[in-house]
Amino acid sequence: MSSGNPLERRPVKLLIVDDSNIVRRRIERSQQFDDLQVVGTAANGLEALELARRTDPDLVTMDLTMPQMDGIECITQLVKLKPAVRILVISALADKATAVEAMERGANGFLNKPFSDRQLNEAITELMY
Amino acid sequence: MLREEELKTFVDGTTRYFEVAAQQPATIGSPYLLEGETAMHDYTGMINVSGKREGVVYFTAPRAMLTVLLMKMQESDFSHESMRDLVGEVANTISGNARRDFGHDFVISVPSVFAGEKPQISQPPGARAFVIPIHWRSHSAKLVVSLT
Amino acid sequence: MQSSGADRIRRLLTAGAGALLAALMALVLIVGFRLATRIRANVALLQHASLLEAYPAEVSQQLTALRERLGTLEYTGGVHQELADSVAGFDRSLAALERRPDVDPSVLRAVGHLWKAYTPVLAPVLAYSGEPYSDTDFGSSLSVSGKIYYTQVRRAELFAQGRAPALHRRLATLSAALQKRTSSAASRLRLLLSAGVLAVLLLGAAAAYLQLARSRGERAARAAEEQTRDILHTVREGLFLLDADYRIGAVWSQALNHLFGREDFAGLTFEELLHGKVSPATLATATKYIKLLWGERAHENLMKSINPLGQLEVMLDNGRGGKEAHFLQFNFHRVLGPKGVKHVLCTVADITPNVMLARELHAAQENANAQIDMMVSMLHSDPLQVGGFLDTASAGLKHVNAILKEPARSHAEFSSKLAGLSRELHSIKGEASALNLMSIAQRVHHLEDMVEELKGKSELTGNDFLPLVLKLDELLAHLRSVREMILRLSTLKDGASTSDGTLSTPVLRLPGTERPNGTVELATTLQGLARKLAEDHGKPFKLSLEGLEEVPVNYLPTVKDCLIQMLRNAAVHGIEPDAVRRAASKSATGQVRAQFRRVESGCELVFEDDGAGLSPEALKEAAVRKQLLTEEQAAELDNRSALALIFKPGFSTRAEVTMDAGRGAGMDVVAKSVYALGGRIGVSTHPGRFTRFKIALPAPSQTAVA
Repeated sequence: MSSGNPLERRPVKLLIVDDSNIVRRRIERSQQFDDLQVVGTAANGLEALELARRTDPDLVTMDLTMPQMDGIECITQLVKLKPAVRILVISALADKATAVEAMERGANGFLNKPFSDRQLNEAITELMY
Repeated sequence: MLREEELKTFVDGTTRYFEVAAQQPATIGSPYLLEGETAMHDYTGMINVSGKREGVVYFTAPRAMLTVLLMKMQESDFSHESMRDLVGEVANTISGNARRDFGHDFVISVPSVFAGEKPQISQPPGARAFVIPIHWRSHSAKLVVSLT
Repeated sequence: MQSSGADRIRRLLTAGAGALLAALMALVLIVGFRLATRIRANVALLQHASLLEAYPAEVSQQLTALRERLGTLEYTGGVHQELADSVAGFDRSLAALERRPDVDPSVLRAVGHLWKAYTPVLAPVLAYSGEPYSDTDFGSSLSVSGKIYYTQVRRAELFAQGRAPALHRRLATLSAALQKRTSSAASRLRLLLSAGVLAVLLLGAAAAYLQLARSRGERAARAAEEQTRDILHTVREGLFLLDADYRIGAVWSQALNHLFGREDFAGLTFEELLHGKVSPATLATATKYIKLLWGERAHENLMKSINPLGQLEVMLDNGRGGKEAHFLQFNFHRVLGPKGVKHVLCTVADITPNVMLARELHAAQENANAQIDMMVSMLHSDPLQVGGFLDTASAGLKHVNAILKEPARSHAEFSSKLAGLSRELHSIKGEASALNLMSIAQRVHHLEDMVEELKGKSELTGNDFLPLVLKLDELLAHLRSVREMILRLSTLKDGASTSDGTLSTPVLRLPGTERPNGTVELATTLQGLARKLAEDHGKPFKLSLEGLEEVPVNYLPTVKDCLIQMLRNAAVHGIEPDAVRRAASKSATGQVRAQFRRVESGCELVFEDDGAGLSPEALKEAAVRKQLLTEEQAAELDNRSALALIFKPGFSTRAEVTMDAGRGAGMDVVAKSVYALGGRIGVSTHPGRFTRFKIALPAPSQTAVA
């Protein structure tokens, strides 16, 4: 999934969705891509949809267990809203059925918590580059 | 009744959390059965489990341990809120990971966090609580698992 | 198909050889036909040439014949006509040869020239048409025209005789040239035909070879096909391909038939394959997953890691009309073509045996719990007595939990727990087997085994204690069940209801003070244990008890523990087997005696048996074997100190561990509990005669006396 001529490459806009501040900041910090630009962070699905509407992200990292609106529901609505967006699920839920469900709803990748910086970078690279 | 490999799922999940998040695995102390009320540390993150199994899983840790853990995670915010956030996240991760073995029907709640105040813990009737001391660096926390 | 390239080339070659053959044959035919036509023409020319060759001589002879006939006055008309025919024939043949490609025109010109010279002399002869003879009465004679005719014939005859050889020579040359040309064309034709036959033969051979090679290729393809079929027949996993419509392809392994109990899978969708065999939720997840395999959204590794069908429980026909639960392991591999995923290769393995084994292990564990009811119903013991034991056991297990609870991080800290755990468990087990509560005794024994195993480990961690705490939990649950059962039994016996909610509390409070007959209970327990030990070890002995009613209530648990342990030691180590006793002329029934009495300084408990006694040497050996002493230390030990070895922690003279002895946690427990009460313990023995323990206890404190 190359984005073509590197000269034409515009920064990838990243939206981080997780109910934990610490996890949000960790994702923000760990990304070492020059052309990745965090355009927003959301603590639940509702906030995420609102932010996605405003910021038009290319990539969304998505927690699943969240208050108000969980990740599965958020993915379902997000792909309707922004069909081109790529979604990386980052969740503690480690059963296969959950992963399949998330992928089926429209996620593009699945990363289990806890994760290392290397695992996160690999997952994002696999999805975006 | 909890089986050994089931209990091990939680224990391994906890030690792995420290290993991955802070590049230093935790070790576990001598496990025992909870009698009466357990001494809670400063912060407690609790997950209610429903579905296939019923009960609670909670992680309780002293402020000092959480501070070091945050530092190791490159965090600079050591506020009360950050502590609450962290114990909740640890409890969530441990329980969520347990779905690997318990399956999809192991339904977990979003974490409830207690700090200072006495936690409202409703143990399932007939299930004993296993206390597993978690040692990390010079600090000790506890993982408590009580499931039908 | 690997051989398709070579195969195609071979087929092309065969076709090429055929075409070449046809072209060659056409060429041979055309050239041959032309050559044959030419030969036929030459043969006709040759006829003319040979005719021509004959004519000069013929003309000469005919002229001579004509002259002679004129001389003899014979009829000349016939010969004249023949001569005319010959001249006309020569002209005709010469005309036929003119302008023919194979005739040398210069020779022909020379012949024509020579022949033309005949014309002036022959023409008057041929032109003659009068009557050559005139008949008179005197006879016949030449007429006037006849005389002229004669002269003309004679002139022509002479001319022809002179010219004939030259003409003949020229004509022979012509004929020979024609002959030569014809025969060379004929030999060319022969050559052509030979070459054609040879070429046909060669091409035929080539075609045959190619055909052979082709059939060999087909044979190889057939063999490959056969091998594929063999693989599909033999492989133990179900193998099949799914197409983009999630349908099963045209081939699959035989194992799939056995797994799913059907013959035809072609065109079946994956959903249809599993329909009715798994829960709708599982089917939905499976279908979603299969769909995802075709998308480009997920990488192969991710797809592998989220495969939800790694252990799928399905209900399959068992071939006898019923259904049977099986566990299938599905694996999926994308087969990539130039345009993305072409197929998905699925493998299915029946992992039921593996899963069932794991389940059985678990079930066996559960089953052991379920047998409680049976065990309890077999209890002969007094419910009250068992209740007392349950109190002690619960308290003991509480202590076990307290030991576990002591913080530990290092190996040394973990290790230090083990001795205490052993001691606690050992005494609980002792009492349990005294009461014949084998289900409890066995569980505690198992727990003891686990502790023993940990003692041998070099690096202890909290993980090693996880099974222990689970076992402890199970044991407590078991005790709870036993207690409930006892309560139910006593309710039945007494006909009274005790439904006061005590059932739900983990430990039922039945304090010892409410049991005035605690010492009676102790006596019953000990006698019961003695009977059981005598039976188990095949050593009949009699236990006499004295003064037990004197035991102060707060000493009762310790005295009980000590007596149980000493009784077991007596049965296992003390009393000799029947044969040994007979040989030593001792009574067949062993004697064991326990006496409790109040003395000035407090109380005294004496326990003795008339068995084998203790051998200081054997004790020393055992201590060395247990690595409690070095050989040098053992050698220096006097008999008194050697006897004291039995109070050392970890000492046991039994090589193998049984329910009753051998842990080495026997007399040290006794000693420890005696010391705990501020007492002392001593042993005296005489090999082959007796062993005697004497325990001195201080006077019980005033408040504790019942």
